[in-house]
Amino acid sequence: MSSEKMHFIVIDDSKLDCFIAEKVIQNTGKSESVKTFPVASAALTYIQSLPEDAKAVILVDIQMPVMNGFEFLEEFEKNIPCERRENFVINLLTSSINETDQIKARAFKFVNRFLNKPLTKNSLEMMLATL
Amino acid sequence: MQKAEKIKVLYIDDEPNNLVGFKATFRIDYNVLVANSADEGMEMLEKHPDIKVILCDQRMPNKTGVQFFEEITPRFPAPVRMLLTGYTDIESVINAINRGHIYRYITKPWQETDIRSAIEEGYKYFVTASMLSVKNEELQQADEELDKFAYSVTHDMRGPILSSLGAIELIRSSDDLGEVKEVMEMMEKSLQRMDAFIQNMHEYYNIKRGELQIAEIDFPSLINEMRELFSVGAKLDGTRFDITFHQDGAFRSDALTLKIILNNLLSNAFKYQKKDGDSKFVALEIKVAAGNALIYVRDNGIGIDDAHVNEVFNMFYRATSENVGSGFGLYNVKDALRKLNGKIHVNSKLHEGSEFVVEIPTK
Repeated sequence: MSSEKMHFIVIDDSKLDCFIAEKVIQNTGKSESVKTFPVASAALTYIQSLPEDAKAVILVDIQMPVMNGFEFLEEFEKNIPCERRENFVINLLTSSINETDQIKARAFKFVNRFLNKPLTKNSLEMMLATL
Repeated sequence: MQKAEKIKVLYIDDEPNNLVGFKATFRIDYNVLVANSADEGMEMLEKHPDIKVILCDQRMPNKTGVQFFEEITPRFPAPVRMLLTGYTDIESVINAINRGHIYRYITKPWQETDIRSAIEEGYKYFVTASMLSVKNEELQQADEELDKFAYSVTHDMRGPILSSLGAIELIRSSDDLGEVKEVMEMMEKSLQRMDAFIQNMHEYYNIKRGELQIAEIDFPSLINEMRELFSVGAKLDGTRFDITFHQDGAFRSDALTLKIILNNLLSNAFKYQKKDGDSKFVALEIKVAAGNALIYVRDNGIGIDDAHVNEVFNMFYRATSENVGSGFGLYNVKDALRKLNGKIHVNSKLHEGSEFVVEIPTK
């Protein structure tokens, strides 16, 4: 899978963080496309509108107003059928040093990884290498 | 300890003579209520929730004093309970004391000085215990807030730092001056947000710990200050800023706390405007009459979703993804109003605007 170009979806309420993620992703040279969403519910609507076999790597911030990262995961689990979920690699982005967040995230089996902010080319490439 | 008001004491005894004697002896110093049965005692407690000390005879028909105290403890745990008894009942009394129902017992026939010192001691105990429970509640709340604080600080304060670090990393490898400038601008906003967060935190601390300085409020100068603070930004954003003011009679309060309230409500009203709205406005209306200040802050901005309208006063709650709020402002407003014995409520409709109504009594 590592030679293939991938679609990326970034969900973060901070515009700067969206921008950074977009650039870092583009700089890896492995992106087919990068879509950024400052509002989690909009990202969910977008994902639902994708064709059945669509694949993507998703980066979602944990702490966001209105719908936070965990609420997004819950909605994702509820609204996206199991067989489609496997096509998405979901990673959580966080600026918190809080262990309870990590424990909470483990409850979602389809979460791939925790990535610390700021997202760097290095940490992103390491994550992509495991796919 | 407040000594201005007489301590409310309830005395229960089936002997009418004892009741009369008790009342005659103590009514000068205490607010004495009497009852001649357990049932009547219960009625008294229901009618007078501010009874501080209860003295009850042990030997009564139908119910003993110990039984009476056991019965009332779950419903009226606060008053201090004392039993009057002869030496013959000592077994049951010891039992009751050990089970925590009774603060002390007084042997019969009672001496005036014994009762007096028992009431004084009992009252001291009552005050200490109720102060302790108030302190306990405050402590619990402070503890919860500290938890929220610790969690949020890592996000709200660390967030902008991490964003900026990420941005610096990005700029380092970029030759595109346009992009560099764009990133710098976003960094600036991000750091401004952090600065606002720290200022709000300072406000939070001031409200929590600061002493109120009550003086007559000079509303015209307060309003001028607000006008100066907001009118430049309002003009730049094309938002109309209307102020109406009417005052009947003096109003006393704490000027700084009032300023925090106005400042937060107005800054929200300007902040949460529609990006490309027509005829945007913010209206401040202050009406002072009959020792009451009514403050309305209205806008035709983005409004608040019904589902979140009750949460906007919660600490660190943000009802919108617009990346400008600290989650502190309205919490501070509510806290400030609590100190001034004021009230706030909000009428809001998503996409149509909000109205915050504040009511503050004069001090």
